[in-house]
Amino acid sequence: MNCQEFWNAMPELDREADHQHVRECAACAVRMARERELAAGLRAMATSYRRVAAPGRVEKQLRAAFRARMGVGQAWRVQGGWRLVFPWTAAAAAVVALAVFMVGGRQPSAPAPRAEMAVAASAADGQGEYDGFIALPNAGRLADTEDVNLVRVEVPRSAMMALGLEVSPERASELVEADVMIGPDGLARAVRFVDSDTL
Amino acid sequence: MNPTRAETDDELLFRIQSGDEQAFMALYQRRQAALYRFALHMTGSPAIAEDVIQEVFLTVLREGCGYDPGRGTLSGYLFGIVRKLVLRRAERERSDVPLGPDIEETKLADSNVESDPLLDLTRREGIENLRRAVQALPRRYREVVVLCDLEEVDYADAAIALGCPIGTVRSRLHRARGLLLDKLTHERSPRQAVNAWKPARCLT
Repeated sequence: MNCQEFWNAMPELDREADHQHVRECAACAVRMARERELAAGLRAMATSYRRVAAPGRVEKQLRAAFRARMGVGQAWRVQGGWRLVFPWTAAAAAVVALAVFMVGGRQPSAPAPRAEMAVAASAADGQGEYDGFIALPNAGRLADTEDVNLVRVEVPRSAMMALGLEVSPERASELVEADVMIGPDGLARAVRFVDSDTL
Repeated sequence: MNPTRAETDDELLFRIQSGDEQAFMALYQRRQAALYRFALHMTGSPAIAEDVIQEVFLTVLREGCGYDPGRGTLSGYLFGIVRKLVLRRAERERSDVPLGPDIEETKLADSNVESDPLLDLTRREGIENLRRAVQALPRRYREVVVLCDLEEVDYADAAIALGCPIGTVRSRLHRARGLLLDKLTHERSPRQAVNAWKPARCLT
């Protein structure tokens, strides 16, 4: 093995080993000593960085993202077989859509009966329930093949009143988590209150 | 089922795609540090490295994230995503990887150049000099040194991450080590380096 062949194979060779070529070639012995120093330096540098890791907040943010994307979507994959998409813009759309719905549902002129009628009408034609979801009044029916987005938002419990659910007045301003189903057109179609049993 | 040490990355990924949060966090805990350090070495910016790590693991959450077990390990694939994201950042900012204000040549000249850097590499100043030398390498050489020498990624995974044949990884690593040695030796005698550019005579 000449010098060039030896160094061409160097990355695979053990730098600490006693190579015959190095014993026989003074120039390569010097170079090998330098390579060993460099290797030791790189190991020391790697050790000095061993404790460097991503900040803890990254883990928290990723955990939240996982829950938003996988936790909510999974139930729908099982239930309806719909394809899932998760654009982050859906979150904003959900909030806007739900806010519009809430404003409309909280008109001073007897909102509850109107909402009850809407829920009853939806249930009567079989489109009121999507695995615990309540179809929003006047929301179009989703076909099984349509893409849906599910977005979890926080809304005041008073939003439940607009759907005909009973809420104690003293808790009306409390926040409650809700999953909003967004159709492919970006409109809210149904809502599910995560802890609706604790009214 | 709780994630255990015995579970492979691929097994964790399968569970992640089934909606298993524990598996996702287990994979994150297992891989984030090395990926973060790679991004940090390549960008010199903790903030960018943090963003990159988030994007990498969000990619894992996507169905059909592009990982093919037949082409290499998940680890190599994740390093590859880090590299692509770092490159995208660099292109967006119209500059190659920033070296940071602390590795300017002036400061290199201020370092203890009287001592032999090759005999001092494992000491604190030596490590700092070496870090600067690594960051001053051209990107293609820096990434292979960081992957193979600092993070001890094997050549096969490095080839996946870098999108090149294993032979290219070997040759780049060889070249990178040579550049590091040259740089560290050069710094030992900066006056010689300056004298090499000293004009022999004036032509004007």
